[in-house]
Amino acid sequence: MALLRVLVFAFIGLSVVYWLMAIYARSTERERLEKKWDAAPPEGDADRDAFVAAGMAVYEKSLRRKLIWLVYVVPLAVVAVIIYIVNAQ
Amino acid sequence: MWRYVKWGLRIVVALAVLLFLHYSLPQHDIVRITETYNRITTVGANAIFYASPDAGTAEGINTRDIRFVATARPNGKVIVYRNEDTGLIWPPYFKYDSSNLQAEASNLRSDSANPQWVSVTHYGWRIPFFSVYPNAVAVKAVDGPEVRIIPWVNIVVLTLLLLAALMVRRMWLQLRERMIDPVAQDLGEAWDEVENRGETAARKARGLLGRLRDWLGTFAGRPRR
Repeated sequence: MALLRVLVFAFIGLSVVYWLMAIYARSTERERLEKKWDAAPPEGDADRDAFVAAGMAVYEKSLRRKLIWLVYVVPLAVVAVIIYIVNAQ
Repeated sequence: MWRYVKWGLRIVVALAVLLFLHYSLPQHDIVRITETYNRITTVGANAIFYASPDAGTAEGINTRDIRFVATARPNGKVIVYRNEDTGLIWPPYFKYDSSNLQAEASNLRSDSANPQWVSVTHYGWRIPFFSVYPNAVAVKAVDGPEVRIIPWVNIVVLTLLLLAALMVRRMWLQLRERMIDPVAQDLGEAWDEVENRGETAARKARGLLGRLRDWLGTFAGRPRR
């Protein structure tokens, strides 16, 4: 029962971290796209908003976006490793 | 006056963080184990310094059988460790092998004539007044009292904490640059507009509510009438 409670709290905490990381990463990606457009607008692609929107659509499907899921994976893996190291003879 | 309050608060927070880390992070003592024993212990107001009740050693609400390891230091002083499971939350040592540790510690007992020096990894403080004991996490036989132990765990944990702090700072700066500042700027512009148009609006005498609604509309991008 205690384990279940810990897992629930860990899930909530990690979800907050995941959410914050997702927002942060999205924000930096948007900024990058905007700066790219401002530096040298691609020919024939006159609309800045459309350019950014297209870039964001690519980003949402990218590996970099999916790597944020590691927020859930890494702590659990670290805990597993700590449990092994501390308790192994 | 305000400056003193601010600095006072900063110092208090920094001290709290340092004490918290000093309590939670592992330390190594080179000692000689003299005795290992169990003792029925009633945990009272000092419960914060003991394992949480859901850890393996819990037997009653406040009274449990706790394992102890009594040791002597190279300088002749003594230190007593408790040996408890750490439970699930804090500190995150995930130590469930107290029985094994007690057996290892018993196996490494020695007397002063024929000392077997041992490195005890532990966290916590010894506060005799409150019957608070550091919790032993691991024991390892070492060659002698002069052995140098590199605190890898502390190095890694503190580095990660520093990186996390820098990350939080970067995230905050990004949030401010991209979300808070633009809104604040819009607000400022909207307010200027309100002031410019204040007289006209008053002349139009549309009433306070109408003007307020108009002003709120500018946030949604609607031009003023």
